[in-house]
Amino acid sequence: MWVKHMKKLEIKDLFVSVEDKQILKGIDLEVNEGEIHALMGPNGNGKSTLLAAIMGDPSYHVDHGSILYDGQDILSLPVNERSKAGIFLGMQYPQEISGVTNSDFLRAAINVRREKPISLFEFIKTMEKTINDLQMSEDLAHRFVNEGFSGGEKKRNEIVQLEMLKPSLAMLDEIDSGLDVDAIKLVADAIRKIQEETNMAIVIVSHYERFLELVKPTFTHVLVNGKIVMSGNADLYDRIDKEGYDWIYKELNIEKETEETPGFTRVSLGNCAVAETMKGQK
Amino acid sequence: MMRINDDTVIELTGVYRNLTIDADHDIDIRIDTKADTELFLRIERARRINSDADIQHNCSILFWNDAKEKIETVENYRISSSADLNVAYGECNGADTVRKTEILLDHEHSSALLSTASLIGTEKKYDIVLTNNKPRTDAQIRNYAVVLNGGKLMIDAVGKIVKGARKSESHQVSRALSFEEGQSATILPELLIDENDVQASHAMSIGKVEEKDLFYMMSRGLSLKECTKLISLGYLLPITDTISDPTLKETLQNELERKISELCMM
Repeated sequence: MWVKHMKKLEIKDLFVSVEDKQILKGIDLEVNEGEIHALMGPNGNGKSTLLAAIMGDPSYHVDHGSILYDGQDILSLPVNERSKAGIFLGMQYPQEISGVTNSDFLRAAINVRREKPISLFEFIKTMEKTINDLQMSEDLAHRFVNEGFSGGEKKRNEIVQLEMLKPSLAMLDEIDSGLDVDAIKLVADAIRKIQEETNMAIVIVSHYERFLELVKPTFTHVLVNGKIVMSGNADLYDRIDKEGYDWIYKELNIEKETEETPGFTRVSLGNCAVAETMKGQK
Repeated sequence: MMRINDDTVIELTGVYRNLTIDADHDIDIRIDTKADTELFLRIERARRINSDADIQHNCSILFWNDAKEKIETVENYRISSSADLNVAYGECNGADTVRKTEILLDHEHSSALLSTASLIGTEKKYDIVLTNNKPRTDAQIRNYAVVLNGGKLMIDAVGKIVKGARKSESHQVSRALSFEEGQSATILPELLIDENDVQASHAMSIGKVEEKDLFYMMSRGLSLKECTKLISLGYLLPITDTISDPTLKETLQNELERKISELCMM
């Protein structure tokens, strides 16, 4: 009997540090094709670090553990090969690339995935449709990548790239921040549509219950002090939205990590762990 | 297209000119302007080019260096009417270049823009002097370079405003971009001002492409070489704005893309 091959992300006992500061302290996670996982947790506990480490951000050092995708050890692959293997990271702070237009960038990104380059006609047709779907400005294709974009435009541009590149695993790091109410729905609908079409797996970091309601994760994980301390279904993010994280600390008897090293400041709302770490080392 | 292989006088009569220099010895060129004109000069071969120009009409000149061996050029321009000179250099070939360019703004209300776009995998040395010799003259220098592995860039750019050249302007911007450690770029911007009532400025940057930019691009599947190619193209393509003829502009854009692909994907 023919069995459809299912791609799987497998993370085992992952320890990741930045600038000698241990951020992740033993992550285990499995994500199968078609599943949507929400990654939650108070700010500064390592959610963004996990996604960046999977993508291969050189600022992060994997100290221990393994990450397999589709059975392949991706820690041995350069960033571009991870992307070509089907992994996509929608970034919290997308970079501005001056002088490089969105169309040149995306066309090059599509062509590295194909044996025969995409025809200009097909590319323009696809790009116009995607821009239209995301209600972006018509001149997006000719503008430099993210340069002069508002926060919301940058996030929608990440979804334009997602739709054009059609990855098999999309990691979305606070892709909803900076979006207004209408745009949140637009982006969530686009993500759902792409997911239904491609059956891609999604790992999503978000603080907004409304966004998660729209994307409808099948699993929820709570990351505290660099570890996944609790996993569950959609009820879990619903409860976190209503009650916050204090009950998790109490229930699991976890100490909140505060000042650990002289010179490091306590992580505050709106700042990721790495930004705070870097600030502390200045 | 006409080929030049010996000493020549180039007359710019209002008709667009497309010339190729192909000489196995030193040559002298004289440029005379009779009307507003665009000139495209491709250098395929030459040991040393000495060029003199008396600019009396608005004039755009693009030098495209396609030489496979080292060349040296010495160019002198004198703008002797209220004309505008726009001279640009495309240096994306794989051979050394030593270039000395002097532009004398020798008439009230004359102006000059000198721009270079260089993709450097060899040794390129530019000595540039723009002199505001009369009042109300405007001198601009723009150098953009991408330094590749093994490349060495040296630019000495001087903006000079002489005594009496009131209300003149001299501005220069020089930027060099690299992708890896160990690439060498030296830029010396100089302003020599001998008059009070003038405006002058210089801006200079030499730097490596941000690691976060490369990570972002690579996270979409592009290799380091492909990132280098795209960023270099974006950095250097504005040189083609010097030319308004649409056919030549497109040819140049394609050529620049081909050269960048050749050098970046090696």
